[in-house]
Amino acid sequence: MKRSRAVSLGILGAAAFGLAACQQEEQTEAAAFPDEQSCVAAAAQGGWFTREDCAATFAEAQAVHAETAPRYESRELCEEEHGAGACGGDAVAGNSGGGSIFMPLLAGYLIGQALGGGRAMAQPVVSKAGGGFATPTGGTQLSRLNSTGKMGSTAFAKGPTTAGQPPMSRAAVASRGGFGGSAASRSVGS
Amino acid sequence: MDRITLPERQEWRAKAAELGFTFADMHGEPYWDETSAYSFTLEEVEGRIEDPCTELHAMCREAVGTVLADEALMERMGLPRLRWEFIRDSWEAGEPEVYGRFDLAYDGKGPAKLLEYNADTPTSLYESASFQWLWYEDQLAARVLPEGSDQFNRLHEALVERFAEIFPANTDLHFAAMAGAPEDYATVETMAWAAREAGMGAHYTDLEKIGISEEGQFTDADDRVIGTLFKLYPWEDLFADEFSAHLVGAQCRFIEPPWKALLSNKAILPVLWQMFPGHPNLLPSFFADDTKGLADAAHLMLAGHVTKPIFSREGASVTITAQGRVLERAENREYDRHPMIVQGYSPLPVMGGMRPVIGAWVVGETCVGMGVREDRALITQDLSRFKPHFIEG
Repeated sequence: MKRSRAVSLGILGAAAFGLAACQQEEQTEAAAFPDEQSCVAAAAQGGWFTREDCAATFAEAQAVHAETAPRYESRELCEEEHGAGACGGDAVAGNSGGGSIFMPLLAGYLIGQALGGGRAMAQPVVSKAGGGFATPTGGTQLSRLNSTGKMGSTAFAKGPTTAGQPPMSRAAVASRGGFGGSAASRSVGS
Repeated sequence: MDRITLPERQEWRAKAAELGFTFADMHGEPYWDETSAYSFTLEEVEGRIEDPCTELHAMCREAVGTVLADEALMERMGLPRLRWEFIRDSWEAGEPEVYGRFDLAYDGKGPAKLLEYNADTPTSLYESASFQWLWYEDQLAARVLPEGSDQFNRLHEALVERFAEIFPANTDLHFAAMAGAPEDYATVETMAWAAREAGMGAHYTDLEKIGISEEGQFTDADDRVIGTLFKLYPWEDLFADEFSAHLVGAQCRFIEPPWKALLSNKAILPVLWQMFPGHPNLLPSFFADDTKGLADAAHLMLAGHVTKPIFSREGASVTITAQGRVLERAENREYDRHPMIVQGYSPLPVMGGMRPVIGAWVVGETCVGMGVREDRALITQDLSRFKPHFIEG
């Protein structure tokens, strides 16, 4: 027999990798605020969220920030990523951690309309060196706060827990995007 | 070799959609087309495709050694001198190849002729290894094809065996393609399935999201260090990218290895012809500025000649000339600035109004399967159709 006895038929774009590319994600209404008061002021103008939503999502964003914000082994490294004055000591580890761990301060938060109703979704944002804001994983970036619009619902997916983990256990990344610039066309295979 | 009209599987479009084969139709035209299929005899597959392609790959390996030892030939490859040592090191270290695809002109009568070797970034792996295989099994079960028939398609199993052979169990492998190109992603994912089945850890990252760590190692979109990278991205483009300066120090193993840059390069075709003149599976080939070589070989090119850039994808910048007249000129000219080679013209057969090209897959050092693409035009381009094949019982 000159053919394979069995072949993985594959569901392209879904299953071979832990991470799938090409996923279509659902869009949801979202808004970004620097603090709870700004959210409450916006809620007073009418819209899809209430002042109660503002309070609940702000509390949740604070908790998620404490749990998932990136941790760094030095203030310098943290400030390189998040800007001067944007970092503090690890609030969770406190003084009991022994070592010194630094993390970006909470710069604001995202509130999102739950798909299919239910409680509003929350996600903290931190500032980026050079301007702008990002969710703790860096997966969603914002140019400014006090803004509203449509956003992919994955922006509200909680990032991996970093609290209690060694700071920057993954490789510290100096730069990105140095491959792909020379492709003559979108599809490069032959 | 024959082109035979066969009933389509009624449910194939639904099946393709369910499996995520999203580009079964492309540019508003069918890409996967099973209204007919190509049939071959077993003797034909083994004697005209399989054994010659295994031999061609061995000849190509020999040519790599020859080119690396000859500075004038290295110049012909159009690759930056700064990266020559990196290429040579990968060859001398014996870094193993995984896969490649020979494109052949074959008319069922004479020997198959090598048009080019997609040795670095061949695509259509999913269609060849998986969807074509499923077509055969379905048609066999439906008795459209008889018991005793077969298909030349050990591609998936051979890839699984190859990964198991060249990597220790549980090695973490990264797979990268450019974002937003579903055909490329399908090839990468098919490769990753095989790696998983071989017991490897397979991780995907968009090529553009690769980063460089402070230690100079490549990292994926999640900042994980990349130890081995399968990149569906041509070496000559990688060498021109900003990160190419980090290639040497990155402690990263690549699939395909850097020396494949010499084989996916059409400058290898004149080298092969110099080394193996008159070989039945080679077409006479010369560098375009080799006027003496071309003049001496005029009697070998009476059917015409084809001008091709040393780097090109999907027929871009190819021109076919016969009796002093341009027969066909690819509209896409984006590779015109590259050095050219001239190859004897071997017209593709015309079957059912279409011109088939055989894609013969090499895994490791052995030819293990094939796929057929056909096009109305003389130059097989990105509107070609993928056709299933079978071996007669």
